Amino acid sequence: MPPVSMKKIDILSALCVIPLCVYVFYESGRWPILPDLGNPAWIPRGVAVILFGAAVLLLGKAISGRSLTLPGRLTGADRARVLWVAVLTGAYVLIIERLGFMTTTAPYLFGFCMALGERRWTRLILFAVVVPVTTYLIFDRALNVPLPRGLFR
Amino acid sequence: MVDPSLLLHGFGTVLSGYNLVALVLGSFFGIIIGAIPGLTATMGIAILVPFTFGMTPITGIVMLLGIYTGAIYGGGIASILIKTPGTPAAAATVFDGYPMAQAGHAGRAIGIATISSGVGGTFTALCLAFFAPILAKFALRFSAPEYFALACFGLAVTITLSGRSPVKGVISGLLGLLLAMVGLDPMGGYQRFTFGFAELTGGLSFVPMLIGLFALSEGFRQVEIILTAPRVSAVLTNILPRLKDLKECLPAYLRACPIGLIVGITPAIGADTAAFLSYAETKRASKAPESFGKGNPAGVAAAQCGENASTGGDVLPMITLGIPGDAATAVLMGALTIHNLQPGPMLFQAHPEVVHQIFAGMISANVVFVVLGLIFARFFAQVINIDRKYLVPLIFVTCMVGSYAINNVLYDLATCAIFGFLGYLMIRYDFPVAPMVLAQILGSMMESNYRRAVVMFHGDVTQFFMRPIAMTILALAVFTTIVAVRRQRQALKQEAAQLAALEQSSSQ
Repeated sequence: MPPVSMKKIDILSALCVIPLCVYVFYESGRWPILPDLGNPAWIPRGVAVILFGAAVLLLGKAISGRSLTLPGRLTGADRARVLWVAVLTGAYVLIIERLGFMTTTAPYLFGFCMALGERRWTRLILFAVVVPVTTYLIFDRALNVPLPRGLFR
Repeated sequence: MVDPSLLLHGFGTVLSGYNLVALVLGSFFGIIIGAIPGLTATMGIAILVPFTFGMTPITGIVMLLGIYTGAIYGGGIASILIKTPGTPAAAATVFDGYPMAQAGHAGRAIGIATISSGVGGTFTALCLAFFAPILAKFALRFSAPEYFALACFGLAVTITLSGRSPVKGVISGLLGLLLAMVGLDPMGGYQRFTFGFAELTGGLSFVPMLIGLFALSEGFRQVEIILTAPRVSAVLTNILPRLKDLKECLPAYLRACPIGLIVGITPAIGADTAAFLSYAETKRASKAPESFGKGNPAGVAAAQCGENASTGGDVLPMITLGIPGDAATAVLMGALTIHNLQPGPMLFQAHPEVVHQIFAGMISANVVFVVLGLIFARFFAQVINIDRKYLVPLIFVTCMVGSYAINNVLYDLATCAIFGFLGYLMIRYDFPVAPMVLAQILGSMMESNYRRAVVMFHGDVTQFFMRPIAMTILALAVFTTIVAVRRQRQALKQEAAQLAALEQSSSQ
């Protein structure tokens, strides 16, 4: 695969960082200065200024075509797989406390393996059942680390 | 100086009951994690930290030391068998390990790699036990200005030495510094950057963030490359090395051990640099340098010995000064903190018995992985063939469970997931992750000590320049940064020239 320039991503990164620097600089100026404790804004403002400089440098390098290269571009299928897993993980985080560890983890693992292209159903179901049960036994019972009970509370 | 009676007592504690079981299990899982390409030692520690929550501090720490040393060694197995380093640190093992395997000597190569890793690791662990108390005693003279200077030094080196682009390293490190400021002000006690979220008052949850940035992010990377995992077909025989082989490797050990130790002590550069430098130096000093790269056992020995010799060096600044040498020791430091042990010179004063148990654990871990590596070599070779379609989801679930298990709150789980995806994007687009994490640790240290020093000096910051130790450290920080940036520029120029040559040759 031919190398791909990171120009766009560098510009985007710099444009995300610059407003953050401005915010940090402004916000730290509002902190109270307590007697004998020095100005608390010194370090955050210093960091914000250097960060701003680095972001501008990154932007300048990208615009002038001096960005580094990536080994190759992500294919559509690779990107879809990563996004699907990210969405699945996000949903898992949102519902695990309500539904409980076992009831959430089994379908999560099932969906995850399917997203990775697994279609051997018996193995898949066995995996989706055995892993949550084993993890629950190890953490909740053996290590005394409670996991979300959810529906089984 | 190291206290021999405390060290002996430490061995007694580490090698008895649950501690020994934890050490063996830690080493075993460490080797497995190291052997699987894509899973690193840092990731291994991050994933398995939660398993230590229910344990006593020393049992948990001994287990983590087993994982750390085992994973660094385990990376060499995949390098030898499939020409793909199990961990980045094992890349130099490929040069001679894979040709040996191709010539039908895979078992012999793994045997030499195992013994060499053990030699390097044990040497460095002994040095750690010897030098750490001396350094910790010296560090007792430090007060706020010196710690501020040390944090600046650590930050400067970490940021400039990480990744291909110094600018991106700086951005990553500074973002880490800003993240370290989230929560209550260390002196004034008012809220900073919390955006009204009560959960952020205590700052970002450090361990879930570590698990996200180092383990979950790698999980996402594995999702991306899931279909390209190679498989092992080699048959392993003659794993136990012959005495003749080890004699041949002796000069390599003599060079690799000190190189690994010194590289390890230097912040931000770790096992990978140690392995490459040891390999290059052994090749340079060899009477037959042309045999390197074609299956010379001394090449395997140098790389593996140097790699493991860096582990003690990495742990040294972490345990004595509270400054992690690399990403793996940053995670290790997080784990120590969870067990209420704050690394630094005061640890030597408050808990000398724990410190000596750590030394004993480190030495024992290097012996344990050699024994396991020789006995279970065939099993570890087969581990590389594990189906990624099952392994990757397992990693995700372990990360999630581990993050939740710390405080049993959803916020930690969300932190892990968010930083996991952020870490993936950072790795994907060449922003180094390690500076962000190291800056979090060093940022808190830098800010609180700066503020304390300002109070000490009654607001006169010029007093920093009147303290010789602080001044020396700050000057060293500036010098190292300049050298690092210059070296990185040269490396980038070389890379660009190689790319141009490649393009020219492909167009012809």
